[in-house]
Amino acid sequence: MIPVTVVTGFLGAGKSTLLRRVLRDPVWADSAVIVNEFGEVPLDHDLIAVSEERFVSASTGCLCCLARDDLARTLLDLARQRASGEVPAYARVLVETSGLADPAPILHALMQDAALGATHALAGVVTLVDAAQGEAALARHPEARRQVMLADRILVTKPDLAAPPEAAIRALNPTAPLRAAVQGAAEPGWLLAPAPPPGQLPDLLAALQADAVARHTPGLGAIAIEREAPLPALALTLWLQGLAEHAGPRLLRLKGLVALAECPERPAVLHAIQHLVHPLDWLEAWPGGERRSRIVLIGERIPRHFPARLLAAVEAEVAGEAARR
Amino acid sequence: MTRPADPGAVAAPSPPELRDLLADALALWEVEGRVRIEADGLRLGPALRVTPALPAEHPVRWWVERPGMQGKGQRRPCTSVLGLLRTLRNALGAETGEARRLRVARPEG
Repeated sequence: MIPVTVVTGFLGAGKSTLLRRVLRDPVWADSAVIVNEFGEVPLDHDLIAVSEERFVSASTGCLCCLARDDLARTLLDLARQRASGEVPAYARVLVETSGLADPAPILHALMQDAALGATHALAGVVTLVDAAQGEAALARHPEARRQVMLADRILVTKPDLAAPPEAAIRALNPTAPLRAAVQGAAEPGWLLAPAPPPGQLPDLLAALQADAVARHTPGLGAIAIEREAPLPALALTLWLQGLAEHAGPRLLRLKGLVALAECPERPAVLHAIQHLVHPLDWLEAWPGGERRSRIVLIGERIPRHFPARLLAAVEAEVAGEAARR
Repeated sequence: MTRPADPGAVAAPSPPELRDLLADALALWEVEGRVRIEADGLRLGPALRVTPALPAEHPVRWWVERPGMQGKGQRRPCTSVLGLLRTLRNALGAETGEARRLRVARPEG
């Protein structure tokens, strides 16, 4: 039986960071990873930096809504390739859900699909909660609440930024073991160990499944921006300021790989959660040699073209000022 | 409001580009109204006009004008796209956004 661990958590909770750390550990590197992204431009593969062979991206939609069957098919395909030697042997599968996924249908698929049940076993659900933004997300988004309710283990991320929202977590899930970790520095042995028998999980799943109301926050959408030409750092700065000022709390998540004109040979990794823009990370080289900026925003009721139009306007302004000098 | 022959002189969005950006901004701010291109600039709803500044007025890029009674209107200069958005948002009475200062820097070392 191949153990499957579902790693979930609301947008920006740090799932990719956690997986990147876990996969760097030689003990856990023999894991296959399935990432579900909400958006048109798959990015998490590059952000996690996992080997091509053991990585499957299920992008463009929300796994819980669109791809329940796809998850089963993907897991079975991967297992078949593992058996035939087409992909390196792996000891476990880690499924990273999109930040907007309700894990209940995913767990249903893992528990109820007969073919899947013969080869795979649910090892557990790890839910990440952002110490800084998590309480607001739990209050505002049904997806975030379901992720915590269904957790076997809860990892509070960014405890260096704020106190963990323990009361809000415990109100939803009083029993799951809870730890905190900075920058994904969690103990993989604790996170990925098989969960204790989930006595109440089937009942909980049934209750959640019956509750068809508001599984997703209305008005959520993903917006993708792709650019061939590098962006001046000043244009990126102004664009981020403009987005933070005008989209404000409606901007739930922004991530991307950006070519800056000042350093185009190294991609800048961009992360923002609502108005909090993280300091840029820099990769050593472009994944796959593809030197193209790719940014994905997830937001509520943000006009679809506003981010790209704002970027074009500030770019023109910055280019004009540069030409004047 | 035509784009200058030398785009480097006062590079700015073209009138249709600016109209589309401002229309999106109105939707984002949940302010009802239309943005129209007129001979001398853009008009937002019944009360606000955005006119491009002359090259000699640099660094001003646009003027936001609210005609008033007996010629006592208001006229505010905007030196950037972000400044224009902020001025319009305030003038329209939309809920104010929180201005933030960020810095994007190249890698150290």
